[in-house]
Amino acid sequence: MLSWAKGENPPAVIVSVVDASNLSRNLYLTTQLLDLDIPTIVVLNMMDQLKDSSQIDIQKLKKELGVSAVVPISAKMNWGFDALKSAIQKSLVNVAQTNHQSQWINQDISHQIKLLIEPHFSSSKFAAAHALRRISRNESLNGENSHIEAIRNSILELGYNTDTLEATLRYKWIDGILPFVQPKIRTKIQKETRSERWDKILTHPWMGPAIFMAILYFIFQSIFTWASIPMDWIQAGIDNISMFVLSNMSPGMLRDILVEGIIGGVGAIVIFLPQILILSFFLTMLEDTGYMARVAFMLDKSMTKMGLHGKSILPLMSAYACAIPGIMSTRTIDSWKERLVTILILPLMSCSARLPVYTLLISAFIPPITVGGYFNLQGLTLVVMYFLGTVTALILAKIFSRFIKEKSSSSFVMELPPYRLPIARSVIRQVFIRGKLFLVNAGKIIMAISILLWFLASFPKVDASLTDVNPIHHSYAGKIGHAMEPVIRPLGFDWKIGIGLLTSFAAREVMVSTMATIYNVEDRGDETVNLREAMRNDVDVKTGVPVYTPLIALALMVFYVFAAQCMATFAIVRQETNSWKWPLFMIAYLTILAYTGAFIVYRGGLLLGYS
Amino acid sequence: MTLIDLSPGEVGTISNIKGNRHLQNRLVELGLLSGTDVRLVKCTPFNGPVEIKVRDSYLSIRWDDAQLVELK
Repeated sequence: MLSWAKGENPPAVIVSVVDASNLSRNLYLTTQLLDLDIPTIVVLNMMDQLKDSSQIDIQKLKKELGVSAVVPISAKMNWGFDALKSAIQKSLVNVAQTNHQSQWINQDISHQIKLLIEPHFSSSKFAAAHALRRISRNESLNGENSHIEAIRNSILELGYNTDTLEATLRYKWIDGILPFVQPKIRTKIQKETRSERWDKILTHPWMGPAIFMAILYFIFQSIFTWASIPMDWIQAGIDNISMFVLSNMSPGMLRDILVEGIIGGVGAIVIFLPQILILSFFLTMLEDTGYMARVAFMLDKSMTKMGLHGKSILPLMSAYACAIPGIMSTRTIDSWKERLVTILILPLMSCSARLPVYTLLISAFIPPITVGGYFNLQGLTLVVMYFLGTVTALILAKIFSRFIKEKSSSSFVMELPPYRLPIARSVIRQVFIRGKLFLVNAGKIIMAISILLWFLASFPKVDASLTDVNPIHHSYAGKIGHAMEPVIRPLGFDWKIGIGLLTSFAAREVMVSTMATIYNVEDRGDETVNLREAMRNDVDVKTGVPVYTPLIALALMVFYVFAAQCMATFAIVRQETNSWKWPLFMIAYLTILAYTGAFIVYRGGLLLGYS
Repeated sequence: MTLIDLSPGEVGTISNIKGNRHLQNRLVELGLLSGTDVRLVKCTPFNGPVEIKVRDSYLSIRWDDAQLVELK
């Protein structure tokens, strides 16, 4: 906006969209836009929320603001857009109609401002607004501090609070014109809105948190139950495609790449699309109904106790789907320190990319027995992994917040918007965007890695008759994995997992496709391998001892709870914190945590006699 | 008297806002000017944030910040 004012390609027209049901707050930004002296159209959205559309005198509002047009619309009901389009077209043709009358800077103050700017600049409306902001912030225009001091003093003598001068004057002006614009609307501060009545239950001191916990439980329950049906369809689809390719293509390298590399690798990931869609659907609903703001309100106290912020709750919940949108949504947190702490611990929330790894290992190695009466051991293991990540995140938040200095003061000033029924098409769009991002990732990173890995695992080709060892050990991938073994052996991991850990740095879910590719190449058969069976039945060729045990699976899962493995996350952290310091710190602490955690689980388990 | 001295449901009129310039401006930008009526809607346990109604909106502000909003 400020670059427009400097005259670098200013827009031909500004469309300022305001909430018609809350004009006094919403016109504030409009008054700032009017200072730019660019033709402006005010769009009164949410007209459907008004009892009677004649409550606002459109012509009067247009005249008082001095704008090109005021157009009432309802985005929800989908009306008013034609009028808006023609208003925009008209304002483009009729450039002369740009006579803003807004006089929010009153006589007393504008006199003072003239004293400040006239020696230096021509007295435009924008210059006046800019000067006023400088006065509010006690910043001089040209380094002459005594001058601005004197003006602040004379404004103070007029009875104004100089620190909040700009905001005060804008509101005073809006408050002055509104009685003429909406004469029938009187703000009755005693009146309870429907949302306030809902909040008697929804943000009740103890019912509120209980309802929130119930909602969370419902969401996670549905992610695992509802998603299983479409996941089965996708699995069946993938199987059919690879069968189709196998039966219709002649054997050769291209077929091998297609089946073992691409279909095996990408297929292992696409299957998680339903879960991601369901989680983003719920989060969008919670956000769009206005409920998320209430959760932030209820949890702010406990969050600040842990070094976080009420508004950290949305990033933390989004991070169960993916850390990246979570990190981006920390922008709403007012305090730098609390925002940084939230970002630092966010990768510990188990994202959906870890789900493939957990489910693979759990279904292969954790028996589906019932413990403690009605808990399924498999489900319980999964819950423990989520819990481990979340609890560690909260503990570390407390620790980090002791060492990070505050840049600006923390505050928590937030609007609690009225409860609204979400607009279906906006929810669908949000969910679609999430799903698309995930698939594009799967398409790009995972396919590239799957193909690369297939080459690394398949070459150099060794004449199988010369050796009794599987040729994959002599491949490039095999060599890399074996080179890693001394480091990861103490955790119980073998060379195959080593390659998986390496490729996981691109994205965690690649672990699954990596294992799938390795076993497919190793198998050398025509059918695609069932990864679960293959891992369970994998034995050391010399000793006949199983390569993977439940204890190793557990150590590997704990490793995945903590490990820094997603390049995209650290790229975003670099972008959001504007330094390499924080992403590097995160990689370091997460790696130490992952290694230590897996070490304790594996060695501790061995000491206790498990295998 | 400050905002937190109201009991839930009570209305007061703002006379002054204390605190640093950053916070003062945040509150004024949301419409908490001196002379504006404000109703305390609810408090949360353990001196957590309070909910207030000002103009046509419901806002949440922290207990410590609410103490800086002085009433007539």
